[in-house]
Amino acid sequence: MRNWIFLIAIVILGLIQVTILNYVKIFNIKPDLLLISLLLSSLFFEMKWAFILGVFAGILKDIFTIDAFGTNTLLFALWAYLIVKLSKKISIDNNYIRVPLMFIITLFTSIITRLILLTQGNAIPFGITLRIMFLEPLYTALIFPLVLKYTQPILSFKVIK
Amino acid sequence: MNPRLNKFKKKNLIYSASLGVLLLFLSSLIPPLRTPLLDIFKLPLNLLNFTRHEIAGIIFYHQHMSQNEKLRRENDLLKQKLIALNEVYLENERLNKFLSLKQKSSYRVIAAKVIGRPADSWSSVIIIDKGTYHGIKRGFVAINYLGLVGRVIETTFLTSKIMLINDPNLSVSAIVERSRQEGLVSGTLGSYLMMKYLPKEADVKISDVIVTSGLTYVYPKGLLIGTVVDINEEFSRLTRYCLIKPAVHLSNIEEVLIIIP
Repeated sequence: MRNWIFLIAIVILGLIQVTILNYVKIFNIKPDLLLISLLLSSLFFEMKWAFILGVFAGILKDIFTIDAFGTNTLLFALWAYLIVKLSKKISIDNNYIRVPLMFIITLFTSIITRLILLTQGNAIPFGITLRIMFLEPLYTALIFPLVLKYTQPILSFKVIK
Repeated sequence: MNPRLNKFKKKNLIYSASLGVLLLFLSSLIPPLRTPLLDIFKLPLNLLNFTRHEIAGIIFYHQHMSQNEKLRRENDLLKQKLIALNEVYLENERLNKFLSLKQKSSYRVIAAKVIGRPADSWSSVIIIDKGTYHGIKRGFVAINYLGLVGRVIETTFLTSKIMLINDPNLSVSAIVERSRQEGLVSGTLGSYLMMKYLPKEADVKISDVIVTSGLTYVYPKGLLIGTVVDINEEFSRLTRYCLIKPAVHLSNIEEVLIIIP
């Protein structure tokens, strides 16, 4: 039940990402809510569902971007796998660890996306590349606790029998 | 009691009353006399009025409270209606401009609404509510009443993606309207566009208007792109480039027209 509700939450976050979030852009950059949903699903669900939810978020992002289709799906699946593995090795149970982790994931996603765009002949000026590459992770990491706060009821949802 | 004293008191009372009536009568006739009298009464009248107001406030407190709540609700409702009407007014203004452009335009166009933006910060794209079903194909040009918006890069049955002119992947062959100097306009993902490959001796000035050149088959000639705001030299010092402020407010487009060739 919780899995399906979170799936709907991902759809809602995706829709917010392509509509309302454009009004809260800072330096023409907006936070990545789908990446936040990926981290949340990887932290609060077991491997199977973390992977499914991650892939779903990736597909959703691929639908709304113009990159080669599948880039985000693959990246998100990889992140889901690595985060679940990491959470078994070290404890990621407070925001002091989650926020830097969110920053790192977004930063690496930005770098990989930029490299893929570069191979496609996409010529974004270096200054703008740097701006997006560092500000997007920062913005996403800072907004992560807020999204966590509002999705907490779903993540801690349990069916009482 | 002494009857004489009683009579004297009565007499005094009558005199005093007559004097009072006379004074009142005079005060009504002579304004300078009435004004100070009214001034004297002002303070006690105010005091009485204040007391009456306060007592009424205490007695009718509940009634006033419910009335206040009702008025507040009404006020909120009216505010919302005002905002909605303002929105309708603005939309009407925009659509009027659109309609006049559609009627004036020599091209066949399809009007579409913007329904979404990209999910990442690496591209400048809008999603519109018209697709192949409505006759839109990849490569079609999007404009609005202010000028060039972008180009259709992807279509589905009911939606299409338009790459805006401030995306670095989109380049448009353009000319300076005044001097006919050619150049290539491309996006920077920022608020300005860049017109590149201008020779050193190019005749370009600040505030010059940039329009599409029509050299490529894709973009019709003469579509407004923007105005020059800055001119600089390339790092190689071989050519110059200029920064262009787009005519279209790319961050808040709500409707576009797709030109059917």
